[in-house]
Amino acid sequence: MVEFSWNTQSPLQKALVPGLHGVGGTPGVELAEIRDIVLVQVMARRGKAAETAKIAKKLFGVEPPFAPGAVFGKEVTLIWSGPDQFLAFAPQGDERLMQQIADGFSGTASLSDQSDGRCVLRISGVSAVQAMAKFLSIDFDDRAFPAGAAAATSLDHRAANLWRTADDPNGVPVYHIAIFTSFADSLYGVIADSSLEYGLKVA
Amino acid sequence: MSGYIESQPLGRTAATEDAAANTPAAGATQSHRLRAGGLIDRQKPLGFTFDGKAMTGYAGDTLASALVANGVKLVARSFKYHRPRGIMTAGPEEPSALVEMRGGARREPNTRATTQELYDGLCANSQNRWPSLRRDFMAVNSLLSPIFVAGFYYKTFMWPAKFWEAIYEPMIRRAAGLGKSAGEADPDHYDKVWAHCDVLVAGAGPTGLSAALAAGRAGARVILVEEDTQLGGRLLSDGGEIDGMQAAEWVQRTEAELNALPNVRIMKRTCLFGVYDGGVHGALERVADHVPVPGPHQVRQRLWRIVARRSVVGAGSIERPVVFPGNDRPGVMMASAVRTYINRFAALPGRNVALFTNNDDGWRTVEAIHRAGGQLAAVVDPRGQAPVEYQSLVKASGLRVLSGFVSDVRGGIDGVRSVTVTGKDGRRQELAADCLAVSGGWNPNVGLSCFHRGRPEWREDIAAFVPGDCPPGMRMAGAAEGTFALGECLRAGHAAGLAAASDCGFTEDGGSAAEAGDEAYAISPLWQVPAKGKAFVDFQHDVTASDVTLAQREGYESVEHLKRYTTLGMATDQGKTSNINGLAIMAAVSGRSIPQTGTTIYRSPYSPVAIGAFAGHNRDENFHAWRLAPSHQWAAARGAVFVDAGLWKRAQWFPQPGESDWLQSVSREVNAVRNGVGFCDVSTLGKVDVRGGDAGVFLDRVYINAFSSLAVGRARYGLMLREDGIVMDDGTTSRLAEDHYFMTTTTAKAGPVMQHLEFCRQVLWPELDVQLSSATDQWAQFSIAGPNTRALLQALCDPDEDLSNEGFPFMGVREVKLRGGMKARLFRISFSGEMAFEISVPARFGNAMAENLMIAGKPFGVTPYGTEALGVMRIEKGHVAGPELNGISTADDLGLGKMMSKKKDFIGRIMAGREALTAPDRQVVVGIKPVDRNRRLRSGARIVPKGERPGPETDQGYTTSICFSPTLNHWLGLAFVQRGRERFGEIVRIHDPLRGEEYDAEICNPVFYDPEGVRQRG
Repeated sequence: MVEFSWNTQSPLQKALVPGLHGVGGTPGVELAEIRDIVLVQVMARRGKAAETAKIAKKLFGVEPPFAPGAVFGKEVTLIWSGPDQFLAFAPQGDERLMQQIADGFSGTASLSDQSDGRCVLRISGVSAVQAMAKFLSIDFDDRAFPAGAAAATSLDHRAANLWRTADDPNGVPVYHIAIFTSFADSLYGVIADSSLEYGLKVA
Repeated sequence: MSGYIESQPLGRTAATEDAAANTPAAGATQSHRLRAGGLIDRQKPLGFTFDGKAMTGYAGDTLASALVANGVKLVARSFKYHRPRGIMTAGPEEPSALVEMRGGARREPNTRATTQELYDGLCANSQNRWPSLRRDFMAVNSLLSPIFVAGFYYKTFMWPAKFWEAIYEPMIRRAAGLGKSAGEADPDHYDKVWAHCDVLVAGAGPTGLSAALAAGRAGARVILVEEDTQLGGRLLSDGGEIDGMQAAEWVQRTEAELNALPNVRIMKRTCLFGVYDGGVHGALERVADHVPVPGPHQVRQRLWRIVARRSVVGAGSIERPVVFPGNDRPGVMMASAVRTYINRFAALPGRNVALFTNNDDGWRTVEAIHRAGGQLAAVVDPRGQAPVEYQSLVKASGLRVLSGFVSDVRGGIDGVRSVTVTGKDGRRQELAADCLAVSGGWNPNVGLSCFHRGRPEWREDIAAFVPGDCPPGMRMAGAAEGTFALGECLRAGHAAGLAAASDCGFTEDGGSAAEAGDEAYAISPLWQVPAKGKAFVDFQHDVTASDVTLAQREGYESVEHLKRYTTLGMATDQGKTSNINGLAIMAAVSGRSIPQTGTTIYRSPYSPVAIGAFAGHNRDENFHAWRLAPSHQWAAARGAVFVDAGLWKRAQWFPQPGESDWLQSVSREVNAVRNGVGFCDVSTLGKVDVRGGDAGVFLDRVYINAFSSLAVGRARYGLMLREDGIVMDDGTTSRLAEDHYFMTTTTAKAGPVMQHLEFCRQVLWPELDVQLSSATDQWAQFSIAGPNTRALLQALCDPDEDLSNEGFPFMGVREVKLRGGMKARLFRISFSGEMAFEISVPARFGNAMAENLMIAGKPFGVTPYGTEALGVMRIEKGHVAGPELNGISTADDLGLGKMMSKKKDFIGRIMAGREALTAPDRQVVVGIKPVDRNRRLRSGARIVPKGERPGPETDQGYTTSICFSPTLNHWLGLAFVQRGRERFGEIVRIHDPLRGEEYDAEICNPVFYDPEGVRQRG
């Protein structure tokens, strides 16, 4: 009897080459793909937005945002993705969490598993905003896009969700980008092209 | 005494000790460089070449100022007449001194020498001449100039008509154009960047600096863009006193304060060129145009899209030439440019300068020349006397002031030799001079105000157009708005900056405006000197005063006609120095006022922008985004040939060793599937999760056939129409749970269908409990087809899974367990007409699935196949796809009319019933095969009845999908044919004018293969 193994493969397996790229010195942009995530699109059933929010609070410890924004629970981040819907994102997901979400929202909200439908990148560094200004029309000023801000936007003609998390210990802003998986390879080219002049560190 | 105000020729009497120290340095190549002064760094000499001749300049120079310092007069040849041309201005409005920069792949023609920063090793060449700049044989055009008048092409190349394509056009194309492109791909990179601010300030002269300072102090986020390398604008050239200090010091202090404000960003070398909707502004930053080659990973230029809530434009004004014979000779220069070269660049454009001005501002040039120790041959002012504040200077220096006009300029490739002055009484006299400084007044730089169709308004007192309606949120201020005095500019800029900040809610203390005197500006308009000879209006396009009068005589009186007939203002400078003179002359010859004559308006870009900058990184392989299927890496490793299907890269076929032809590979793949088993990545098909209590009702309304009646665990083929009754898309949709359907769409229509569904959900039927989510990228989905499909799947699936016809019937769907601890969705659907399943797993397992299908299918000779084989099999089976769902076909045209439910309403139902869409003679899908079975069919060929002459009257349809069928061993295909389904067996004529072919073919049933459908149910 032949054995079948089910290895996972990232859409960026080939494109992402860990190390330093572009100009030397301290890299201005740091990029990492977050792999093996759980990402679920939670869409309230008709008339059940409030109930959905209540369940989210119970499950994740936080209420989902009702306008563009991201809120951070202990294990799961909730990112606004449209009226009465949000993305539930966990950087380290497992079956247990998936099942918990499915059971919790059963009958109240429709779920669409997007754990493989999106590729999530973490982008940070002192020059991250300068690099991102080349492919995102978002105003990254602290006043306009503070930690907890989120946007469903176009990234060089690709649909993307973008949110800002808490600054890193050095006070440098940290952003997350979720892009449709099939676009990830071509997106990496855009990010690299935009970042090489500042130095790019790929984790 | 004549009518002139005569005085002693200016000797060295006015020269101060300072000026003596300022005489040009001897010996060096920089024969016209002053010993002191200017904003150049004499500690940093830079070597450069012009037309191969080595010269030196200093850091801070432009190419133009370095050429002036080296005594170079002749810089270019004009566009049409190849007239010798020099440097006319010192700014971006330069019409004449266009040069070719760099070489090889970086060669860039038509660079304005006046804005090109000098760098060490700069290499520039003149253009539009042969064999050399000094000896240009094409200058013969000038002798033929009576022929090359306005409308020359329209008049000359009309007849005979057939000569146009073969002779005239190639001839004109060879002669036309200015400069030569590199002809190679640009090796440099360009960026496109977004920026955001509250107040965008364009121009860093006194107005812009004041505006930026006021808005910045008030707390607004400010971006200040300046095209130049330094802030200051005209202050760098004309100096003055601001807040009791020298202008240069004030500029320095202001820049320091702006730099200290965290909310202000200064962008030098950046030109605002466009204003678009929603507060989006276009600006070009020249990042590395001042170095030979951009540094590693450095871009050459950046295209900025600046989103601003308000803008203040302090774009200044442009000095206007006067139209008189010889006004294009090398050495004729705008008076303001003469001052710029002397004061900013310490370069003397001439040792004996004549000045021709009709306004007070031109008189400033007298002081500049005096200070530099240059000689002034005379000042020619049609007003007859010096302005009040210059009268004592005239007296003290013995400066010669002539009342009249410059009526001719003699000289040539070595510059100006003499200037002819005609007095008001008609008496002429000739003055020796090597440079003529000209000022016809100042035109506010209204360009940016016009970009939303604003129309400039005439102001008589300054004899110029000022901005009319500006784009939303824009304020024009200072000289750009017709306010010329320094003090006024500072106040206007300050007020505009404060107002713009206040509009955005920033009201902190903006301080007070800097103070300076308000010098007078009086002008007596002078457009054209009444004298015979070639007098240029548009220097870049060689449009003369007589061209304008000719246009008027021939009826092209409107400014828009004037522009197009003479090409006035259509050059790359958009007529910055020529438009107003041109329409003033038109006004005069047509007996109207200037406001009656009107003005053309401006469009973006304000200044030429390289296409490369608009493209940014979106070039070559990054021209657009691409999408990769989940098994892409596996397919690439197997050597698949990929095809662009929209944004997707899809495996088209998998060539094997020994196969030299795509058809060989594709036929092998088809045979392998029909006789064994094969698989294909079909993940690119659109997938939509449709959920909610009303999901079934929703789909009933979207599709022409019913879905609410579909049982859980079953799939159904669905067809949807557009609102107008035409087919939109098709696909298989499964019911996975009571409240969960899984829709598939075609690859091409995945996006539009999702939009359509969201529109239906959000706008048409918000009352339905439906939730939609695109799941296209979530799943890796493979079609497994062929008689051995079940055997392969049994090897892959858990032994408990029953895949028999009873356990898994045709059109059945369910989740199955796979060996190795994996779950998958299995759909028993077939596109190929074979026994087939589709299997899907989360996308991260796409490559693993492909590998495992190879392992499981190895005993059965499993063969991966690409989109070509997929296409062949669907054509053999008569399945319609993209070429048939072509945006004009109805469900009935496709043979699917019976699917249209009569029991329910659905989108497109009513409109599909229109007479023309149900007419019996519509072209419908049929099969087509060549009578001579060895003949190759082609898609897109026309179909006419046998015996008829092909033509629009006899045309009855066309072929759509064609393939070579390895199963039937001949070419066959699908076609749209009028009343086709009634004509099976009829021989028709195929007419293919594109490929020059005509042959007979037979109309037949489109289902060539297994018409009973036994195999797919087997």
